[in-house]
Amino acid sequence: MSTRERIVVAMSGGVDSSTAAALLHEAGAEVIGVTLRLSDDEGVAPGGRCCSPMDIEDARATAAALGFAHYVLDRRELFRRAVIDDFVAEHRAGRTPSPCVRCNQHLKFGPLLAVARALGAEALATGHYARIDTAAGVPRLLRARDRDKDQSYFLFGVAADLLARVRFPLGEMTKTAVRAAGRRLGVPSWDKPDSQQLCFVPDGNHVAFVERHGGAGRPGPILDHDGRILGAHAGTHRFTIGQRRGLPVVDGQARFVAAIDPGTGTVQVAPRERAGRRRLHVGDVRWLHRPPQDRRCDVQIRHRGVARAAWVQTQEAGSVAVEFDVDVEGASPGQAAVFFDGDQVLGGGFIAG
Amino acid sequence: MTSGARIYLDHNATAPLRAGVADAMARALALAPGNPSSIHAAGRAARDVIEDARRQVAALCGAEREDVVFTSGGSESNRLAILGLVDGARRDPAARLSGRAPHVVSSAIEHPSVLATLAWLRARGHDVTLLEPGPQGEIAPAAVRAALRDNTALVTLSAANHELGNRYPVAALAAAAHEGGARLHVDAVQIAGREPFDIGVLGVDAASVSAHKFGGPQGIGALILRRGLPFESAAGGGQERGRRAGTENVPGIAGMGEAARQARARVARDASRVRDLRDRLQAALLAIPGTRLHGDPVERTPGTLNVGFAGADGQLVVMGLDLEGVCVSHGAACSSGTVAPSPVLRAIGLGDRAAREAVRFSLGPENTVAEIDRAAALTAQVVARVRAAEVPRQAVVA
Repeated sequence: MSTRERIVVAMSGGVDSSTAAALLHEAGAEVIGVTLRLSDDEGVAPGGRCCSPMDIEDARATAAALGFAHYVLDRRELFRRAVIDDFVAEHRAGRTPSPCVRCNQHLKFGPLLAVARALGAEALATGHYARIDTAAGVPRLLRARDRDKDQSYFLFGVAADLLARVRFPLGEMTKTAVRAAGRRLGVPSWDKPDSQQLCFVPDGNHVAFVERHGGAGRPGPILDHDGRILGAHAGTHRFTIGQRRGLPVVDGQARFVAAIDPGTGTVQVAPRERAGRRRLHVGDVRWLHRPPQDRRCDVQIRHRGVARAAWVQTQEAGSVAVEFDVDVEGASPGQAAVFFDGDQVLGGGFIAG
Repeated sequence: MTSGARIYLDHNATAPLRAGVADAMARALALAPGNPSSIHAAGRAARDVIEDARRQVAALCGAEREDVVFTSGGSESNRLAILGLVDGARRDPAARLSGRAPHVVSSAIEHPSVLATLAWLRARGHDVTLLEPGPQGEIAPAAVRAALRDNTALVTLSAANHELGNRYPVAALAAAAHEGGARLHVDAVQIAGREPFDIGVLGVDAASVSAHKFGGPQGIGALILRRGLPFESAAGGGQERGRRAGTENVPGIAGMGEAARQARARVARDASRVRDLRDRLQAALLAIPGTRLHGDPVERTPGTLNVGFAGADGQLVVMGLDLEGVCVSHGAACSSGTVAPSPVLRAIGLGDRAAREAVRFSLGPENTVAEIDRAAALTAQVVARVRAAEVPRQAVVA
């Protein structure tokens, strides 16, 4: 069989994964491009989404232009079950889902590494902005050099034994450098705009999507921190912790969502200084290396959020208590909480309450 | 298609262009540039090209020249035949339907172009009976007879199945249809130009054929339609004796004619050679543990070999073989890339998992013993590797 290193590259159709594939191809690897078909959506939205029929064509065109094999694997059914159904159910339950984390967990790394094995490939590469350091023997997952594009937050759920066979060719590059490399290497979609939306909600209207799929939460009252009723709302799915949009200003101060009760349909709000949290429980925790008993680390609770210093303490299996040094805003049940030691991802879980 | 190191074993999807066909098409483009309906010299040159091709196709299929209608391929021929004959029957006083929509008999394992057309008819009030095949894909004339009603206008069945390769007893099916007062249309796409096929002898009323299955270009085919059958089709410029409107694809037809001419000279010899190669490949593959054979092992087109490798996802086997330079297929080409298991395999009783393990090898006359042996060895390696990877079923399947 082949003597070049065979690598499966997960290609979404976006410039990042296409350029990652192009870089590996230039370096002499036998690249096998694989695109997962995840949605039926043919809708017109600015920029790309991931994995719609239009994006599949962009990936195919890159492979054809550069001269490596490309296949499409239809995973619409699995995506619907693992990502979309979870997204809708979390909204109905008054929580904030983490669909990109779920997608990485259930569709991308484990299954695609098995596909890579089946095709005789040594490794799986993606266009994620993140780094893997194998110098110490055991793979460590690190933030990308481009902090603005860093996607390590979404990758905490990828087990260490899988990471040993994963490559992130873009980890040391800035977005600008990636586009320039794409252009230089002849990637047809090098100037395709980045998508800012969830791949399966291309128009960005999460509320309408959730409603169409039966995830609407109860309507109910908006209560101020002192119990005063400030108004009514049309469904708890329209709110997330820390949100300001859609809320009244009281006594000259803005209000932020502090808690959501899906059972009664109550949305609790508070002024900013009262809407934060000091302590969190994080469930379904996985650690990339040995789980610590009790340690300091930086905890990031949303993508694009700053990681804040905290003590974390392991509790019963799979659960961690987090105590921040200062109150943090926007800690919503369901969102991923990721533990960092400097640039290194230690692990993470999902905010339970 | 066996260019460089590639071994092409997907002839049921399409066959390599025969030598001389591209030249025939180029000549038609250069020398016969007119519209075949024009009365001037340029038009007459084009007319001559297509009538010559028509003779070749008719001779290949044992049909009358006037019965050959050129189309864009097998799928269009199927759709045209079914809708045209059904609508023709509906409007034919002699059919004595008394205002009832004509009933159609077919099978559950027809090509998607047939099944989609039948679904379209069903949605418009026609009763359609889809016969279920036996466990090896058999469709019996007795089953057809039993399904006929007094308002059955048409029986439409394949002469050979595109996935399994099963060959059907066309003459007996025609007799059964006619006894019940219905016409028989056969989808002969997998047979014509590859095995002896004589419409006159078989007593068929209509047959679909496709050029690219026997070494002609893609995008051109024919519907062979006996004169005198009640037949309605979309109105237009009156081409093809009013049966298929639209300016004819002159270079395509030229290519089809040349391919038909060559095929007719070689069809018996090629079929025999291909059968030997297929049997050799089959023996080698069945020696791989956990390999199943799908379809009728005897009544089968000479080049088709549809097998299942237990514990190995068929799509991954096809991809793995592609990476080693071997071209095969997982189910019908039209549906590659989608995850739904083949309805043909489900209809012969394969469960979901087994259907997903199917791989179709389909050979052609240009394949060699060396290619077959190499393909068999590579298949064994690829299957072993896919099995060892233990791709979780959930990762691959709905």
